[in-house]
Amino acid sequence: MALESLWQTLEASSLATFLAESAWAFPTVESLHVLAIVTVVGSIAIMDLRLLGLASNGSAVSAVSDETLPYVWIAFMVAVATGSLLFVSRATAYAVNTYFIAKMVCLVLAGLNMLLFQSITWRGRDRWDRSATLPLAARMAGGISLLFWIMVVVCGRLIGFTLAAF
Amino acid sequence: MSTFGDLLYDLSQYLRTTPALDLADRIAATSLSRSISSNFWAVPALQVAHILAIAAAFGSVLMINMRILRISGVDRTMGDTVARFAPWIWWALLVLVISGLGMIIAEPTRELLNAAFWIKMVLVISMIGVTLAFQARTVRLNVKDWEATHARRTSVRLTSAAILLLWCAIIFAGRWIAYAPT
Repeated sequence: MALESLWQTLEASSLATFLAESAWAFPTVESLHVLAIVTVVGSIAIMDLRLLGLASNGSAVSAVSDETLPYVWIAFMVAVATGSLLFVSRATAYAVNTYFIAKMVCLVLAGLNMLLFQSITWRGRDRWDRSATLPLAARMAGGISLLFWIMVVVCGRLIGFTLAAF
Repeated sequence: MSTFGDLLYDLSQYLRTTPALDLADRIAATSLSRSISSNFWAVPALQVAHILAIAAAFGSVLMINMRILRISGVDRTMGDTVARFAPWIWWALLVLVISGLGMIIAEPTRELLNAAFWIKMVLVISMIGVTLAFQARTVRLNVKDWEATHARRTSVRLTSAAILLLWCAIIFAGRWIAYAPT
């Protein structure tokens, strides 16, 4: 398969060899990855809990969004960059790992959920921006987001138990 | 790496000469330790709980400290910010202590004889000490007139940045437990 040879090429690159052989590179990149992911999950959960009406109900939804989303996006970009490096170091093993694939599926679903929320539900926010109880579509977006991000953490940690003995 | 790695290795070797060795052996011999470590899902589940609690705590720490540094959340008063996020930090810390104890009981040798684990513990205690002192001296007493009393003080801003950096260092040390040469 074409993808398989791509993973092999990536894994044979000097960058991948360095990451795999250096004593400190992989743990350092992985630590940054964890820091980025807890920032994404911790910040987006604040928004999700507001959408669910469980916390920050005294603040407007748009204010909570403005406060949290910049951290979500910056940390997400760091997570993608560091995650790509981790992937490259053992591309052929990650590409076939069940939990890695499940993690990517959860990421895509979390992204689609956010896209739907931002492009459809968010347009009507003037009517409920300051309400504690939001329309069902907004509450569902918050619940689904929280669920998929928790699954990202679950799958991410399980990769470490199934890929190698770390 | 070699010098830093050597330092971690030497520290881990030193730990084997302390009561930590005997303690790790005694914990490993308990039936609780054996039942947790023999279950494939138990340690990952504890680690997931630990990471999610760190996310909750770090997200809250980030919001409070970015508000103090006036980088975000300035449309909310300092009092409202602390009321919203501080309880989440302490409840998350409780989950962190419980899940952390679970991981120590499951794998006492991996944790107690590991230099990165003890570096993390020193960082955690420092972070809690600095946070409590900071709360007592600033947030709790003068939160009502925060902007007039504390908002622009360099010491307040520096302490706030230090607390954020301590959390980052704790997260790093936590992940390094898996890699420190022992």
